[in-house]
Amino acid sequence: MTINLSGIGIDYGAILPELVVAGTAIVVLFLELFVPPDRRRWLAAVTVVGLLGALVATISLWGQNRSAFGDTVIADSLAAFFNVLLILITIATVAISPRYLEALDLDYGEYYILILGATAGMMLLAAATSLMTIFLGIELLSISLYVLSGFARTALRSQESALKYLLLGGFATGFLLYGMALIYGATGSTTLRGIAAFTTAASSNAGGNVLLLLGIGFLSVGLAFKASAAPFHMWTPDVYEGAPSIVTTFMSVATKSAAFAAIGRVFIATFPSISSRWYFPLALIAIFSLFIGNLVAITQDNLKRMLAYSGIAQAGYILLGVLPGTAQGFSATLFYVAAYSLMNFGAFAVVTAVAAGGEQTAELSHWRGLFYRRPFLATVMTIFMLSLAGIPPTVGFFAKLFVFQALVSAQIWAPLIVAVIMTIVSFYYYLRVVVIMLAAPDEAVVEKRRLGIPTSTVLGAAALATLVLGIFPAVVLDWATRAASLHF
Amino acid sequence: MSWYTLPGSVPWLTLSLVIPLAGALLVALTPGEVRRVVKQLGVLSAVITLVLVLAIIGGFQHGVGNLHLQFEETLRWIPSAGISYHLGVDGLSLFLLGLNALLFLIAIVIVDPLIPRLKQFILLLLILEAATAGILLSLDLVLFYVFWEAMLVPLYFLIGVWGEGQRVYAAFKFLIYTVIGSFAMLVAILAVTAINFSQTGQLSFDWTVLVQHPAAGIWHLPAGLGTIGIQQLLFIGFGLAFAIKMPIFPLHTWLPPAYTSSPIPVVIVFAGLVSKLGAYGFLRFNLALFPDAAHSLGGLLAVLATIGILYGAFMALVQTDLKRLVAYASMSHLGFIGLGIFAGNLLGIEGALIQMINHGVIIAALFLIVGMIERRAGTRDRGELRGLAATAPLFAALFLVVSLAALGLPGLNGFVGEFLIMLGAWASFIPMAVGAGIGVILAAWYVLRFYQGTTQEVPPQPATFGELRTADVGVLAPLLALMVLIGVTPAFFPAAVDATVKALPVLLR
Repeated sequence: MTINLSGIGIDYGAILPELVVAGTAIVVLFLELFVPPDRRRWLAAVTVVGLLGALVATISLWGQNRSAFGDTVIADSLAAFFNVLLILITIATVAISPRYLEALDLDYGEYYILILGATAGMMLLAAATSLMTIFLGIELLSISLYVLSGFARTALRSQESALKYLLLGGFATGFLLYGMALIYGATGSTTLRGIAAFTTAASSNAGGNVLLLLGIGFLSVGLAFKASAAPFHMWTPDVYEGAPSIVTTFMSVATKSAAFAAIGRVFIATFPSISSRWYFPLALIAIFSLFIGNLVAITQDNLKRMLAYSGIAQAGYILLGVLPGTAQGFSATLFYVAAYSLMNFGAFAVVTAVAAGGEQTAELSHWRGLFYRRPFLATVMTIFMLSLAGIPPTVGFFAKLFVFQALVSAQIWAPLIVAVIMTIVSFYYYLRVVVIMLAAPDEAVVEKRRLGIPTSTVLGAAALATLVLGIFPAVVLDWATRAASLHF
Repeated sequence: MSWYTLPGSVPWLTLSLVIPLAGALLVALTPGEVRRVVKQLGVLSAVITLVLVLAIIGGFQHGVGNLHLQFEETLRWIPSAGISYHLGVDGLSLFLLGLNALLFLIAIVIVDPLIPRLKQFILLLLILEAATAGILLSLDLVLFYVFWEAMLVPLYFLIGVWGEGQRVYAAFKFLIYTVIGSFAMLVAILAVTAINFSQTGQLSFDWTVLVQHPAAGIWHLPAGLGTIGIQQLLFIGFGLAFAIKMPIFPLHTWLPPAYTSSPIPVVIVFAGLVSKLGAYGFLRFNLALFPDAAHSLGGLLAVLATIGILYGAFMALVQTDLKRLVAYASMSHLGFIGLGIFAGNLLGIEGALIQMINHGVIIAALFLIVGMIERRAGTRDRGELRGLAATAPLFAALFLVVSLAALGLPGLNGFVGEFLIMLGAWASFIPMAVGAGIGVILAAWYVLRFYQGTTQEVPPQPATFGELRTADVGVLAPLLALMVLIGVTPAFFPAAVDATVKALPVLLR
């Protein structure tokens, strides 16, 4: 249908947002040669301008359903949803970066190029409708993040983090590619449209096709690795802890969001006819994530590790929305992804801001009495923790509510009960952070460290959005519903 | 019983939620150093809220409105999920709303302006007031749940930061208990809506919709473990949240540490009001949405409530810490309320509704008195206190009135509720009525020992216990007035709530 006269459907307009981001990366690459080291903040400014351009490009594609390059990418409302989300995350990350990088003496121009490269990869992943473009997107984002994890070159933990991520990530990519090969072998197509046509055809007996099911299994391993869902989460705590805080902030929310875009496209849009086959393994991954994430988070004394396990648990909740295979469930997933991005970004950004203030470690004991030393940071951190726990009136509450509602409507009880019990468990470690910040300090001195306008603006806006969307969630929910409905 | 009609174009109920929040915002914007202004802003918002709520109570018309609900407000909130902003007030919530406004005013008035971080304390109290009022006014189940959970956060911080003794432990235990109940309720809320959707095709969390189609059917347990009624299952889901909040024996273990650790202003609203929200939840949701289950499970809960009466009374007898004594007395009295509710008849439920107001008034007054004793004598150990009446006769006299109301003397308010509840219990479960009767005798024992032990005999020399000041009398006066007023006009409250209670589905079965 979109195959145009040239045969393979070259349509640069459909991937304009991705092109703008990639183009900005190249511009920054050249600018970096000419900008003197003490003016590197200009690179951040150029990056933000480029990202705003990509946002405009996304809006210009609003409401379209434009498939291009021989059905390998699409500009639809799902892609637009993730584009907006990812661009906003990246802008917020770049805005708080210079201060942190300068404080840790990591202020190199390559940082912005790599961040832009990762973002382009994530956006491509969200728009991908072919196994080839899914792979392209994942590799682009992964390679950028491998380098970023080791960006603090002189810190041993950072190097360890990068190497671990690279090795395990390489394994996951192997699984992913093998799965893709098997799926291609079984269905004879690499585009999701072609694969869907094969599986829904009555004659194909897709549910009994071992080659196809094996392929889907391997593909799930690769995607679950990127979403850091258990039991493919082993890398997460070490990488999150070792990588520079600002990189952790970025990858913990952006990578996970992009991975769920692909999971939605693959499972819900491509394999709906064999949902009974993938339901059980996916439910198992969700339950594993909820158990491991929430239970291990309790024992963590390092905030970055605790947030890593909390992120694994949150991946479990997000995955729950995929299980029913319905529009209602997937829109709950999308809402949760947006909410998660907001609150988890906020939580890690506070860790980053504290680290930029000179506290090199994220050990929880160092956060004792933060309310009395740095009231603003402690207050916004409290809001993010309450939201991650799912206490109203925060956006995290409605995220959980909508997912649970979808599960109840689909009468999926066992994962729901696990999720509810684990949510109660999660209250313990989220609120422990608040209690520690409230504990009487050794000396009650209000530190007059300045956060800087960009950091305080980003943190304030994130906290405010967490509360406002916790009172008026309908805006984002309707948007998520529209983005989710295209597949059905 | 309406004396006047309030103009319908004003969102009265929303106003009663917004005023405390606006007060909280003003307090937040005031610099914390000007303590007097901060406190006066808090008192002012609480006074305006009380006046507004009294106007609503005066304008409430007996037996009018859809399902006897009045001042209803409905706004679209999250239409695609069937969630709306729906407020309304009826006989179940009307007087509790008044109690809410009164107790928060008293709590804010007695806050010591010299406590650390006064600004945040007042701020959290005002937010808590809005949340508890929201619980009483919500007619949408999700909205109710939002307020129910939102209530937790300020309470948690009020105990955990400003409390005494093992405050962090107490706050945490309270939180974990409450959250377990809340999530059971959340699943039940989602399930009751999903069932209603499958039965009627209407996706709605609205109480007025759900109350007209009680869920039916049975649930087949997996692996041939038998069946359980869906109503019973949902009843347990909601009931767990409310039973923990009340609390009903054996879910009470969070209560003694939480009450004992709370500062006096917090414990007044905590014991006086928040505990009643559990009872209110039983009436509003369990008895209205699941009438069949209320009949089949009511007997069991009545037994637990009676155990609670006796357990609380015996525990109150052996306490030496006055705050703990009153905490257990509160639990014992709440058992009466539970017994009245689960008796499942008109007398019992009306008695429970009156007793909810009475309990709030009496327990708040008792905790106020404990606070006054502690501030003047420097201790609240029963063994170290005696002869307070020698230097403070007025204090002793007012204390006596409160004590007599607490033990249920006819002519004061405690008697009215307890008598109706026992009549109701007698009609349904005679052994429970007998047990409750024993509870009344025990109440006389521990209350009189509390009173006599502290106020009578020769005081230790030199007697330094100070007499009440005007401000102290002013704080106690509205509570004492209510004790006498309800005691001498016992027919006033039943008449106001009659229409609502008679329409409760549990009484129609």
